[in-house]
Amino acid sequence: MSGKHRIIFHLDMNSFYASVEQAHDPSLKGKAIAIAGNPKERRGILVTCSYEARAKGVYTTMSVWEAKRKCPELILLPPNFEIYRIASKAMFEILRSYTHLVEPVSIDEGYMDVTELDMNNDAIGFAKSIQDRILRELDLPSSIGIAPNKFLAKTASNIKKPMGITVLRKRQVNEILWPLPVIDMHGIGESTARKLESIGIKSIGDLANANPNLLKEKLGKNGVRLLNRANGIDNRAVDPESIYDTKSVGNSTTLPYDESNIEELEKVFVRLSKKVAARLDAKNLAGRSITIHIRDANWKNKTKSKTLTSRLYKEQEIYQLALELFNASWNGDPIRLLGVTVNNVYDKGESVEQLSIFNFEEHAKEEPILKLVEQLQGKFGEDSIKRGMKVKKKPSLESKTSFSKDFLDDHND
Amino acid sequence: MKFEVMRDSLLEGLSDVIKAVSSKTTIPILTGLKLEITNKGLYITGSDSDITIQTFIPVEKNGEQVISITEPGSIVLQARVFNEIVRKLPTNNVEIEVTNQFQTHIRSGKSEFNLIGLDASEYPMLPEIEEERQFFIPSDLLKSIIKETVFAVSTSESRPVLTGVNWQVKDGELHCIATDSHRLAKRKTAIKDLPEEEYSIVIPGKSLNELNKILEETSSEVAIVMTQQQVLFKTGNVLFYSRLLEGNYPDTSRLIPNESKTTILVNSKSLLQAIDRASLLAREERNNVVRFSTLGNGFIEVSSNSPEIGNVEEQIQAEEIDGEELKISFSAKYMMDALKAIDGQDVKILFTGAMRPFILKSVHDDSILQLILPVRTY
Repeated sequence: MSGKHRIIFHLDMNSFYASVEQAHDPSLKGKAIAIAGNPKERRGILVTCSYEARAKGVYTTMSVWEAKRKCPELILLPPNFEIYRIASKAMFEILRSYTHLVEPVSIDEGYMDVTELDMNNDAIGFAKSIQDRILRELDLPSSIGIAPNKFLAKTASNIKKPMGITVLRKRQVNEILWPLPVIDMHGIGESTARKLESIGIKSIGDLANANPNLLKEKLGKNGVRLLNRANGIDNRAVDPESIYDTKSVGNSTTLPYDESNIEELEKVFVRLSKKVAARLDAKNLAGRSITIHIRDANWKNKTKSKTLTSRLYKEQEIYQLALELFNASWNGDPIRLLGVTVNNVYDKGESVEQLSIFNFEEHAKEEPILKLVEQLQGKFGEDSIKRGMKVKKKPSLESKTSFSKDFLDDHND
Repeated sequence: MKFEVMRDSLLEGLSDVIKAVSSKTTIPILTGLKLEITNKGLYITGSDSDITIQTFIPVEKNGEQVISITEPGSIVLQARVFNEIVRKLPTNNVEIEVTNQFQTHIRSGKSEFNLIGLDASEYPMLPEIEEERQFFIPSDLLKSIIKETVFAVSTSESRPVLTGVNWQVKDGELHCIATDSHRLAKRKTAIKDLPEEEYSIVIPGKSLNELNKILEETSSEVAIVMTQQQVLFKTGNVLFYSRLLEGNYPDTSRLIPNESKTTILVNSKSLLQAIDRASLLAREERNNVVRFSTLGNGFIEVSSNSPEIGNVEEQIQAEEIDGEELKISFSAKYMMDALKAIDGQDVKILFTGAMRPFILKSVHDDSILQLILPVRTY
């Protein structure tokens, strides 16, 4: 970055799924609606809800039955990821019509670096014009945060919703952020907040003025990062490519009942492994480690991981490892949610595979063709001939999770 | 129960038995050691239910009295605590007395410990093993058989049977095979007076590692008894029982090719060192994979390339290269493990193709075979 002060926008769509539903079906406008999984199967937390519902005390992550109690007229809709993806894509297209420096972070939010744009010295007016255009063309409300860096912009967009535009300057950090508890800071979750509290850090101001060595000892690199953020410092560039670095592929599911029958749980692992394997395959990815997530009936969360020497992408292997991890840690308690994630993924195209006594014969079949390729390469050079890459597959139905980044595949089209 | 024992002898016995005791056991009484004093001597037993070790301390050792018995009996004491206590007792004389309610008094010099013991009749019995069909292997040979195979067992539970070493008795030979499915170690040993029946058992790798720690580097004979569920190793004063692994061990004989397309004879040490150097750049990024190719002029090239670190190439003069040209990739770790398990100056490597297992053997003797599956690069 040059010495010039950067101007970063963070655009956050307001209750995105609910807004998209309302834009699609105007009869839903002005009504309390919420998106949730199938309530009959108890997949029961609200993914999002409209502002009309929020006014009645309904909030995201609330359970369906509780929301219904608070607001009996609440209209529950199953998620329709297809229309959300289309809306998301259209929204990012609008942002990219101003600058290529657009970094999507999830289906409904993204950063823009507008430093170099000619805004007639009126960043607020410029933000307003983007916001108005998204409302006019897509019928979707949004909030925009304006700040000299990503962290502050993200914080700012959260201050006023819906249809807010908020400027947050670095010098305002001590008056606006510091009085807040650390948990309100973007990047701090419950467990970090607990760790911070154990060393006497309660407010963002405490964090900003904490001893850097102590933080580093307690939280590692992240401690230093958080200290900087609390002081309004964040040097991350807006990187339009960052979304393509998929780091993990995972699926989780809430079970219809709190389950303690191992056979049923095994079936869940079969399904999850199948989904994860299909999504890895859709992107030609393989991973080096696996994590399982377990939430028991008391909402206690546990994760278990394992790192491997060979690459992981096959359904059967994912299933076996997941089950192995599960059996090693499960004490028989009823389970509410299970998740399987393959981590540290990379393109299979540039990778190695350790053959085993059980599979080498399959590979040995290809020996003649490999040998031929090798000979041709020896004669005409390494680049003269390459094995055909996998044909890029369209993300199929299987590659859809509400929180995944698969929607970003659309950005490649 | 009441007796006196020399602390040195007691410690020696404890150090073997304590290896079987795990703090993670699900059976509470197995966190303890069973002490049983008879007019022959003291038996100490420890177990984690997979491995059971019993040592015997005779009343007299080399004409010297080490135990004097006042009253025979038995007790179970917390293993870790008892072991620590004995180690730290002030004199070489230890008196152990059990009074009512399993109260155990351990006295030495002016120090007295009172431990709460457990009823020894609650302690699991030793596995019953008929000892008719036993055979013998010298302790030092048994140690090397273990060392040459056990490193290749699987550390993953996904195929439990592969976490053990397959021992087969047939044709007057003992065949020991270990594989984690990516490499395989096999050791053949001719043994006198083997039982006539064929046996095939799978001994947990962990048990063999523990057994190796107990065995002495001497030629004294170890008696071995195999049954369906258990294997027993007997040395002078130690009984070592291990549970066996269930399940069919894969038939690995078909993996070992009868013929080869490329045969290389090379100095084992210089290959080992070259692989070790090449793996410096392979470790981080590429699963520790190195590339191995024959060059036309009797040389081998070992190379590795990490896009973000750099690359390395090294040429080694082979003693002999026969057959087709070859380019193959494999794990540096597996190669180094295999080379270390093979004695002798020169090693013979037999390849049958870049996607097929290859084997390493000593030039002079056929008893050890190491097999490695290659790595496919994309």
